[in-house]
Amino acid sequence: MNENQRVQQVLSGNTSAFAYFVETYQDMAITIAHRICGNMQDAEDVVQESYLKAYRNLHSFRSESKFSTWLYRIVYNTAVTQTKIQMWADNRETQMEETSHLVENSLQIDMEERERKEMVTDILQRMPKGDALLLTLYYLEQNPVREIAKITGLNDSNIKVKLFRARKIFKELWIKCYKEELFMEES
Amino acid sequence: MLQRRIIHGGVVMKEKKHIQIEENLIRETMQAAMKKAPENMKYRIMQQIETEKALTPSKGNIDKETGNVLKEFGSIFGTMYAVLAVMIAATYFLFGQEYLLSPQFLGAAFLIALIFSMLWLIARVDSHLRSKKEIRKQ
Repeated sequence: MNENQRVQQVLSGNTSAFAYFVETYQDMAITIAHRICGNMQDAEDVVQESYLKAYRNLHSFRSESKFSTWLYRIVYNTAVTQTKIQMWADNRETQMEETSHLVENSLQIDMEERERKEMVTDILQRMPKGDALLLTLYYLEQNPVREIAKITGLNDSNIKVKLFRARKIFKELWIKCYKEELFMEES
Repeated sequence: MLQRRIIHGGVVMKEKKHIQIEENLIRETMQAAMKKAPENMKYRIMQQIETEKALTPSKGNIDKETGNVLKEFGSIFGTMYAVLAVMIAATYFLFGQEYLLSPQFLGAAFLIALIFSMLWLIARVDSHLRSKKEIRKQ
């Protein structure tokens, strides 16, 4: 059964068919919300509210786009509205401050004990929120640029530029903070 | 010339390979950043959706309510026009045509229209409160 058929099932009154969408996309939804909100508690509230909005407005879902894209757009909008942040403001200065702060801290970090998961989360949290979100959407969900554009409301070329910058920041932060030549040794 | 091209091609290929490796590496690294939704999340969302579905009046109820409103409207204002028609006819035959345009008669007709309008308003408020109470009970 494809997703459009499931949508039709929900629309015809079979609420339990909606559970498929919750189960399939909740992890990515919470990852997106967490990138924007910055904490798990708010992210959970945002995801819950987003699913409710999706259920209420399911009749307006057009099957031309993927359900995931439509849902992530709702999550994105809900999170941005709730946190009242400016996602795409140019916060290069802040980012640089944070970088230097991280470099100082990096000496105290016991690399052997930290798991990669924590390291990645740490770096993403210190990146500008918009850049971290783009990396998440691009690499985790393997969304093409066009899908990311639909979710964030930015245009394709803007996303390509921001992705390039985000990748660069991510690599720089990784090398600076952890002194691990992750991107060097394999190349 | 050919040698240069070969060297250049080799450099480009090496660069592409390098970018590809880097992409894969970031992708692999990023997988670790995936958050896991709490186990009860699905239950919470579905519970909320079920509750909302139960509280939302069905289409049948809405149609029924629309039908009731029209029926109520028709019966109250129908009676009002019937009363006014009887009153006009009686006045015409008893007091003549001139009396129909007198302030006394127009005042009486206005009063009747006002009374029936108030009656309709009260009926609407009553049915609205009743439906609210029913939803609360559910």
